This record gives sequence, C-alpha cells and structure tokens, in this order.
Amino acid sequence: MKRLLAILAIAMASPLAAGAHDFTSGTMYIDHPMIQEAPPGARVLGGYVTLHNQGAEDDRLVGIETPAAEKVELHRSTVTDGIARMQPMTDGLPLPAGEIVWLGDNGTHAMFVQPDKRYAAGDELPATLIFEKAGRIDITFKVEERSTDLAPGHGEHPQ
Amino acid sequence: MKKSGILHNVRIVLWALVAVAAVAATYFTVVPRERSLDQGVAFYSTPFKLTNHDGAEVTQSDFLGKPSAWFYGFTQCPEVCPTTLAEMSQLLDALGPDADKLNVVFVSVDPERDTVEVMKDYVAYFDQRIVGVTGELEAVSAMATARYVYFEKIPLDGGDYTMEHSANVQLADADGYFFGTLDGEEPVETRLAKLRRLIE
Ligand SMILES: [Cu+2]
Repeated sequence: MKRLLAILAIAMASPLAAGAHDFTSGTMYIDHPMIQEAPPGARVLGGYVTLHNQGAEDDRLVGIETPAAEKVELHRSTVTDGIARMQPMTDGLPLPAGEIVWLGDNGTHAMFVQPDKRYAAGDELPATLIFEKAGRIDITFKVEERSTDLAPGHGEHPQ
Repeated sequence: MKKSGILHNVRIVLWALVAVAAVAATYFTVVPRERSLDQGVAFYSTPFKLTNHDGAEVTQSDFLGKPSAWFYGFTQCPEVCPTTLAEMSQLLDALGPDADKLNVVFVSVDPERDTVEVMKDYVAYFDQRIVGVTGELEAVSAMATARYVYFEKIPLDGGDYTMEHSANVQLADADGYFFGTLDGEEPVETRLAKLRRLIE
C-alpha cells in the first residue's frame, strides 16, 4: 500500500502521466496501464495496471493478450531470504467487488515475453485484458521511463 | 610480615595477569581490526576466467587492488535485476569522484542466453562504469560456488525458463576479502554509507 501511494505520487508528478490514461468497460475501471522501458537486449517487459472492480461481484484478471509480444504471463517476483524468485500467478489476479487492486503490488507484474521490437519511453502497446466475468477489454499500455520503485525488495525506503 | 609477603606475591601475580590481559586485549581488538579471524579465505581472490562485455578475457586479478561490488543476475529478469543495476548507477553518482575507487561488476547467471553482445548493450543502458561479465556456464557456476552465491534454472511452461538467484550485492575489499552485502530493502543512504566505508 505504501508503495502504491508512492507510485501514485510519482505518477501524478510525472509529465508522461499528465494526460489521463484510463479505460472503463461495464463496471471495470482500468487505470494507467504502463510498461517500464526495458534495457536493450532485454527480451522481457514488465507491465503494470490499476484495476477497480466497481461491480457487486468478485472478478479476476486471468490473462493478457497482445499482438506485440510472443506471450504475456502474470507473475509475482519475490525476494525471500536473499533469493530473488519469480512465480507464475496460476490463479490470476483476484479482483474483489468494490476494491482497487494494483497489478504491481507485492512484486506482481505482467511479463511481456519476446516483444516484437525494442520499446522505449513514449511507445504504446495494444493489449487485451481478459477477466473471468468482465470478459475481454481492449486497452493500451504506455511505455514509461524506468523507475527504481517497482521491484520487490525495493522502494520501501522510509523517506 | 608474612601476611604482607603473601599480599606482595598476590599483587605480583595480579599485575602479571593484567599484563597478559592487556596483551590479549591488544591482540584480539587491534590485530583483528585489520583482518578479522572469521573472514577466513579471501574468496573474492579465488581464480576464475570469464569474459567481459567487450569480449575480453577477465580473471580475478582484474578486480583486485580496488574494492568491488558484485551483483549476480540475468538480463531476462523484469524487475529485481534492472532495479538493482539502476540503483547501483545512482549510488555511483552519489559517490561522485570516489566512484573511481570501486569496481562494479554484473555477472550473468544465465550465460547461455546472455552473450557478450547482449551484456554490452544491457550494462551500458544503466552505467558505463558497470562491467558486465559472462562466459562458460561451468566457469560461472564455479565462481558462484566459491563465493557462496546461489543461482538455479527454473523451467517455465512452454520450454522457457527463468533464474532464481541471490538478490544481494556482495562487497569485497581490495584483497578479495568479503566485506558485506547491500540489500535492496535497506535505505539507499545505508547502502551509500556501506560503500563509503568500503572505499575509505
Ligand atoms: Cu515475470
């Protein structure tokens, strides 16, 4: 949560995020889908998005599709006992009714594997979010400059 | 008379004990401050032969003579590795001219995919002062074992794989003795203080 607030603060201060960048479909509100610019040579991109399930029923993000990469997987990165690991979120990302969930919290991310080109800050990637109940929703991820506040085991600096 | 003679002897014995204690204290506090007993072997001077991001052979001696900071990761790592390298770059900036007193090395634990070409572009994106190192998987494994660094290949669906690896940055002094770690969880100021102590 602390991290979410930090990200929101950064997002509001960032000129890139100045233009509102959100999507609504039915009762699903999708805010600020972004991808961190990756270094050249990196064949993976980390994607993040805030999801507000405004409906009365629990939902779940079960997958993401894009024509811009070989595949997209939902993962959670962790640092436990000094070891960095990454695990697939096999059950997707739960979206309880009425709650705001950030894909990005606790090391969660969408991993875009083998993008079709190098994406730099300012680029956009079309994608489809797939929800258990809300179905398929087309959105656009915006590529932003890398911030050091996203990785697990990082960014919890008491400042 | 007799009583004071005994006291005199006791006093001599006590003074002798004080002298022994003083010598012992000097030995255990002053001498070990130079090189603590539990530091054991300088495992950062264990021999290795790998390749840097320019394609040149590098050995342990290329990184001795100056303190060094080492991170072991891989380029297809979406979060922990790029964040750690970006933070190392920020720390080097914060050190200012003193950054020259430190070697910063990024060793690939996925040398099968991290070729010299991949490493060169990847490392340069973060900081020209960071040296990327890759090589034969066996040589990287031997180096990691010698330095108590963990990494392992974890298969993913569809024949792909990811790497589990030690997340900390390891520090070594100019002679290759282990000096401690930088932890991503600790405040940047703490990490900067540790680096300052290392290069003092
Ligand atoms: Cu991932």
